[in-house]
Amino acid sequence: MTLGSHLAPLARSHIEQADVVFAALSDGIVEMWLQRMHPDVRSLQPYYREGKSRMRTYRQWVEVMMAEVRAGKTVCGVFYGHPGVFAWSPHEAIRVARAEGYEAHMEPGISAEDCLYADLGIDPGRFGCQHFEASQLLLYERRIDPAGYLVLWQVGLVGDLSLKRFATGATHRQVLVDLLSRDYPLEHELIVYRCATLPIQRPQIRRLALRDLPHVPLAAEETVVLPPAIPLQPNLAMRERLQALGEHREQPLEDAVPTR
Amino acid sequence: MADTLELLEMIGRTASLRRAPPRELVELLRHMEATEALKAAAASGDDAPLCEELGHKPMHSPQSTQTHGYEDDGSGQDQADLPPAPEPGQPSQPG
Repeated sequence: MTLGSHLAPLARSHIEQADVVFAALSDGIVEMWLQRMHPDVRSLQPYYREGKSRMRTYRQWVEVMMAEVRAGKTVCGVFYGHPGVFAWSPHEAIRVARAEGYEAHMEPGISAEDCLYADLGIDPGRFGCQHFEASQLLLYERRIDPAGYLVLWQVGLVGDLSLKRFATGATHRQVLVDLLSRDYPLEHELIVYRCATLPIQRPQIRRLALRDLPHVPLAAEETVVLPPAIPLQPNLAMRERLQALGEHREQPLEDAVPTR
Repeated sequence: MADTLELLEMIGRTASLRRAPPRELVELLRHMEATEALKAAAASGDDAPLCEELGHKPMHSPQSTQTHGYEDDGSGQDQADLPPAPEPGQPSQPG
């Protein structure tokens, strides 16, 4: 999301009306902007530490937010982009709060994914679109469909089993390229994308061949998009079935329900 | 000098400014008495001058690191990892 552009009026109102605001943002200037909206903004950034499991950090975030809820405060957690996308602790905080009998809900935000569609001119409905966290793609058996778009998140951290690092390197990314090369030619052009956080910035868009992915600088917040590599393949069996259905008058559902 | 954060917010919510070519934006900012740092950032699209003016604060991107589907480290509560609790209303410290 972009400072000044993408904060919805309702989200802003929640910030202004809360007793305490917790902030997990990606940019110090955006955090300063948030501090203008409320006198008690508490950054969650200090809980991060190199060599410390990020999951431990996220559990601590839930605990500090819940401590204020249990103290009777109206708490607002502000997360970069959409609070429910690639974000464990907002979902967990809401789950825990509801389990303890408190009212809690999430307001949607404009995520990097939303900005990606606009800036790259991609309609996910055109060919379909798969999204994977890059490490999950390596660690689990997943089925890639190269006829649609493939969006890979956190490629800059790919293969970090410890969850204690904030970047991995070329050798880890080469493992990812080796996996992708089962479905894409190595010369397939991919897009490295980063949305603008400040309104004086433009989105960063780089195009490169799949084989070069391990060898370029890649920040954690950059996203890799692989456009379709093959045309959509007609499903002839399904078409035949639908054709056959089309030749018969569909019996309306209400006609099929026995009347009393 | 105009307040940089207020000007940034105005640029972000004003269509003609948000999409203005850098040269035009810098000229508009000059009339608004923007700081040299904001004008330099607008000209280059680089936030470095703003970080210098407002105070550099390295941040991790929470939304790009908040998945956990393959970790199994138990409950994970470790008081040694707890940072000092931020004071209400006080600016937070860099991580």
